[in-house]
Amino acid sequence: MPGSLYLAWRYVAHHWIKTTILTASITLIVFLPLGVRVLIQQSAEHLTARAEATPLLVGAPGSPLELVLNSLYFGTEMPDPLSYADVDSLDAGGLAQPIPLYTRFRAQSHPIVGTSLDYFAFRNLSVADGGLFTLLGECVIGVRVAEALGVGPGDAIVSSPESVFDLAGVYPLKMRVAGVLEFSDSPDDDAIFTDLKTTWVIAGIGHGHQDLTDASAAAGVLRRDSMTITANAAVVQYNEITEANIASFHFHGDLGSYPVTAIIAVPPDQRSATILRGRFEEGDLGAQIVVPSDVMDELLRTVLTVQTFVLAAVVVIGMGTLATAGLVFGLSIRARQREFTTMVKIGASPASVRWLVASEMAVVLSAAMLGATLLTFVTAAYGPPLIRALLL
Amino acid sequence: MTKKLLAALLLGGCAGNDDTQPDVANDETDAPVVYVSNYPLEYFANRIGGGVVRVEFPMTTATDPAFWRPDAAVVIAMQTADLILLNGATYEKWIDLVTLPAANVVNTSAGFVDRYLTVASAVTHTHGPEGEHSHEGTAFTTWLDPTLAILHAEAVTNALSERWPNSASAFQDNLAILREDLDRLDGDLGDATAALRDVPLLASHPIYQYFAAHYGLDIEAVTWEPDEMPSEREWNALRDLLRRHPARLMLWEAEPAAAIAARLAEMGVGALVFGQYGNRPDVGDYLDAMNANAERLGAPR
Repeated sequence: MPGSLYLAWRYVAHHWIKTTILTASITLIVFLPLGVRVLIQQSAEHLTARAEATPLLVGAPGSPLELVLNSLYFGTEMPDPLSYADVDSLDAGGLAQPIPLYTRFRAQSHPIVGTSLDYFAFRNLSVADGGLFTLLGECVIGVRVAEALGVGPGDAIVSSPESVFDLAGVYPLKMRVAGVLEFSDSPDDDAIFTDLKTTWVIAGIGHGHQDLTDASAAAGVLRRDSMTITANAAVVQYNEITEANIASFHFHGDLGSYPVTAIIAVPPDQRSATILRGRFEEGDLGAQIVVPSDVMDELLRTVLTVQTFVLAAVVVIGMGTLATAGLVFGLSIRARQREFTTMVKIGASPASVRWLVASEMAVVLSAAMLGATLLTFVTAAYGPPLIRALLL
Repeated sequence: MTKKLLAALLLGGCAGNDDTQPDVANDETDAPVVYVSNYPLEYFANRIGGGVVRVEFPMTTATDPAFWRPDAAVVIAMQTADLILLNGATYEKWIDLVTLPAANVVNTSAGFVDRYLTVASAVTHTHGPEGEHSHEGTAFTTWLDPTLAILHAEAVTNALSERWPNSASAFQDNLAILREDLDRLDGDLGDATAALRDVPLLASHPIYQYFAAHYGLDIEAVTWEPDEMPSEREWNALRDLLRRHPARLMLWEAEPAAAIAARLAEMGVGALVFGQYGNRPDVGDYLDAMNANAERLGAPR
């Protein structure tokens, strides 16, 4: 028996190309249905957990899925904006606590989320190092942002321009990191949070600039009369908010007209939620309200349907692969008839020969099972973030 | 809604706080903290909620709250406060520069936005530690009209009652007493200004819009500081102004320098102090100071 195993091992090692191809084929065919199932199950749990923790989401009319993916997972597709007046009216309605979100900008690959302090309590996020933002131009970062960019409290993060070719577009804003959040195993770990007003500064609708009444700003003055000073494009606008220039930052017009991408609505009870949904579904508020868990369930139903087709295809391919593997073994045994005859002639029993062949198959199958198991574990560990990255 | 949630959270977290007992703090440090952005609100909040809440007015008496800006430490303290009462009417210029929990912030003039007045024109100027500033935009010294002061006080009462409902009746009782005082002040100011209606008046700062509107006064404002001699250009501008607005009395926030008062007197303009008391008065409280204003206005000239 140990002799048979040794001979089997020597055989598969000698014919390593054939063995590797066989092992890889069987590994993949065992892993694929397992991996797909684990991947979808874990991703579904991850996605639905965050959706279920978000009772209602208000956004501009459009794709509910885009609204949910952008607002909950900070996906790159930005829904049409609402105005901040919608936040105020939701608050005044008294049926839900509104938490505004403005997710238009990024710093490298990390989303910049403009929101209110209520967001942190709502998501049970706590600060691991430093504190929450207090002044315009400050931000709080997720732990993975801190690791990826190597920044911490007191350091700075610069927002990315939306397009390098858009010379008239938004200017980068250098934000001071006020704190780093505790690890939460959620998209919040990859996000940069700041006050909604800071994101409006990034958008250029709030700004700070040279004092136009000062002589040093003469080059930036286009026209001056007794009541009005008109600036030209040469006026120096600040791209960092500091103690020295913060007082010069201001917002023009009515803040109610400023943009938000979504509003998380947190009703105190089911009755308020139902009334609120009814009001939006009457359709005269110019916005949509969605239940994120319903939207994600819909998405996952689609994914599960696809999964069924994928599994069916994998089973068919698997049967073909196993048949091919059987054929390979069969042909291999037939090609080795003289080898087996020689073994019997030099004293090996027919049973030993059968053990030898069985051991060779066992080595290949064991290696394939081990490979499939390892791949499944890797999928379980790294699959959900991968799926999030692919979906978002 | 958010306020109700917060109140429920606070009440839920208070050991031994049953539904029938008022929320009286055992200790000053145990009391819920209410931040205010000017002295009238501090006075109203203390009159209405004193004993239940601890009122914090986070600036020194040398500061004009209209041009104050909190530093990070004060903002952090405000973020952890139970309630933040604002005057509104653009009084808090700093509000756009800081992050506060929206659910805890109450604009006490939100109920009378339709009565906001605007400053028609203004110039930028510099005085005190706040540096250069202007008074343009919405007029913000709302409390100088006692009827609006009552509305501020009612908003304070509502905000406190929503958060600490067990003490709502005590708050209402306190408001009733305060309202009587403010009604009396309104009457006194009405009597004091009776002789000034249809008479052109001047003001050293454009801060008397609500006061003038309520008592039917015709006030034109310059932008002079009591301790800074105006330039010749400003004196000439005053002469021009007096030609179309022949005032014989100028209201000042504080006693003007003797040289300024003397030069005004040469032009036939008397100086009278009518403080706005956005910050604490040197002597007495809000009512004392406003009553003193009324006495000075009503004094024979």
